[in-house]
Amino acid sequence: MDRNRGFLLETSVVQVIARGTGVAFVIDESSPFDVVASELRDHLADQSSLWSKGDITINVGQRILARDELAQVKSIIETHSGLTVTRFWCAPESLNGGDFQIEAKAAPLYEPSFLTEPSNASESQPIVHNEVVLSESPLDLTPNTAAASKTAIESIIEGLKSRHNKNGARNRNITEALFIKSTFRSGETLEHSGDVIVLADVNPGAEIRADGDIIVFGSLKGWVHAGASGDNKCVIIALDLPSPRFQIGKYLGVAPMSAPQKSKQSTIGPKIAYVRSRSVHVAPFAGRFARYKKGVPYDG
Amino acid sequence: MTGKTIVITSGKGGVGKTTATANIGTALAMRGNRVVVVDTDIGLRNLDVIMGLENRIVYDVVNVIEGVCKLNQAMISDKHDYELFLIPAAQTRDKNAIEPEQLRELCAELEKDFDYVLIDCPAGIEQGFKNATAAAQEAIIVTTPEVSAIRDADRIIGLLESSGLHNPKLIINRIAPEMVKRGDMMDQKDVESLLAVEVIGLVPADEQTVVAANRGIPVVHNSKSSAGGAFMRIAARVDGEDIPLMAIEPKNGLLSRFKGMVGMSGRTYSHA
Ligand SMILES: Nc1ncnc2c1ncn2[C@@H]1O[C@H](COP(=O)(O)OP(=O)(O)O)[C@@H](O)[C@H]1O
Ligand SMILES: [Mg+2]
Repeated sequence: MDRNRGFLLETSVVQVIARGTGVAFVIDESSPFDVVASELRDHLADQSSLWSKGDITINVGQRILARDELAQVKSIIETHSGLTVTRFWCAPESLNGGDFQIEAKAAPLYEPSFLTEPSNASESQPIVHNEVVLSESPLDLTPNTAAASKTAIESIIEGLKSRHNKNGARNRNITEALFIKSTFRSGETLEHSGDVIVLADVNPGAEIRADGDIIVFGSLKGWVHAGASGDNKCVIIALDLPSPRFQIGKYLGVAPMSAPQKSKQSTIGPKIAYVRSRSVHVAPFAGRFARYKKGVPYDG
Repeated sequence: MTGKTIVITSGKGGVGKTTATANIGTALAMRGNRVVVVDTDIGLRNLDVIMGLENRIVYDVVNVIEGVCKLNQAMISDKHDYELFLIPAAQTRDKNAIEPEQLRELCAELEKDFDYVLIDCPAGIEQGFKNATAAAQEAIIVTTPEVSAIRDADRIIGLLESSGLHNPKLIINRIAPEMVKRGDMMDQKDVESLLAVEVIGLVPADEQTVVAANRGIPVVHNSKSSAGGAFMRIAARVDGEDIPLMAIEPKNGLLSRFKGMVGMSGRTYSHA
């Protein structure tokens, strides 16, 4: 644990956060750009041996970076490590003034490839997504690192994961929540290291990944992933949950094909999706920490 | 005079952007406004055809931007006794022939002289869309009640918002009342709740629209056309009048009209 911790860039300016099978660099929003640049350079140079091949995402939060500053960050990281910067993330507000856009179509770094390549699984099992254990076999899931042995990045991810799990309950209550006050529309994507609360609908074609809970005061129709860094205790809450597919931690929820519309009572009203005995269930919402028994299994 | 520039856009092609631009533009002019419509669908121009002005094109919008001609040389005046002008798209160039900033300047120039500058936007979300939207202060989104068109409209609204064009208005075009009635087509409420934007008009599917397009006379000139009436009301709303939306309902056939008279049918007459 402590050994892994030593690998982390835990300065106030640059933070490394594990995300599924990848890592994200989170750059402090308020530090001046030249401080960020030199801080990054120093740390990467110090620990250059740790960084072998792989793709990373840079999260700049609400900071507004000019195109050449983005290029500078990219080049610092790429020259001081074997990493490839595949995309940048930013808070939606920084889009207005910023010189860059959230790239909706770029392949997300930690999109679990088992979602797009179900053929990896044996044919007899139709969609056994929830059997895939990210932390144990990240190599099978990210084609880029397929040839490498266990890299430093993976050790870091594991370290972060166990740390996260150990202090999960305590940490989760103090993560920063992100409020989205407008409809989340097709093609818009968001990642956040805490909880995400949307005070409107999440439309089909929109994507949200949060390391914490995802709460939608509206109709959730898009793709969301709560506990995106592996916390299966996270939940998804929505006033209406018509989304056919979503994920909590490593478990995929797929709406039952022939929706057993038992009573009107169970289909109307806010819903909560949670993981119970290794699969995703959906039940009428009765409080974030209520004891939920077996709900409607979302296993296709 | 300081007019405003409104872009008419959709994402998906063939939903009725050009039809809406021609008809709203014509209707606004009939209401006494000075109006110019600008076709930015470079390479695929057809606003001129629908307005019956295709034989009068000498210069186009790219010529103006490249300084080949003066702005007023590219403006084609409609033959009627109201003030309506068209700036056609270039047909032999592509969307990259102009920059968003250049179109913005052109529209700013037009705003000095017109009440309304309407931009007919090409389909898609690439350069042509960026050009058209950069120039506008307001946006009207056209969709049909089909999932694919609505999905694209949703994407467009998101893109407009992130580029600072807030509160776009929505036109739902080609509503087939009989299909809605049967439950085979989404109704206004379904579309409205999905897109969460203000609806400024409901236009029924009306074959007169196609007839009018072929003749080069926008359907607002046809007082019997239900689509024409719907576009007239949209123009009035754009012009600041507060006209409530009217539900689109199936037209009565002769038999049901007769039944209605003798109290056998609850169906109402068609409105738009
Ligand atoms: N309300 C309507 N009823 C019937 N046909 C329509 C209606 N609106 C548009 N159309 C037809 O649909 C086709 C596409 O319309 P157009 O305005 O060219 O779409 P866009 O500019 O979005 O590609 C045209 O043939 C047009 O006449
Ligand atoms: Mg068109």
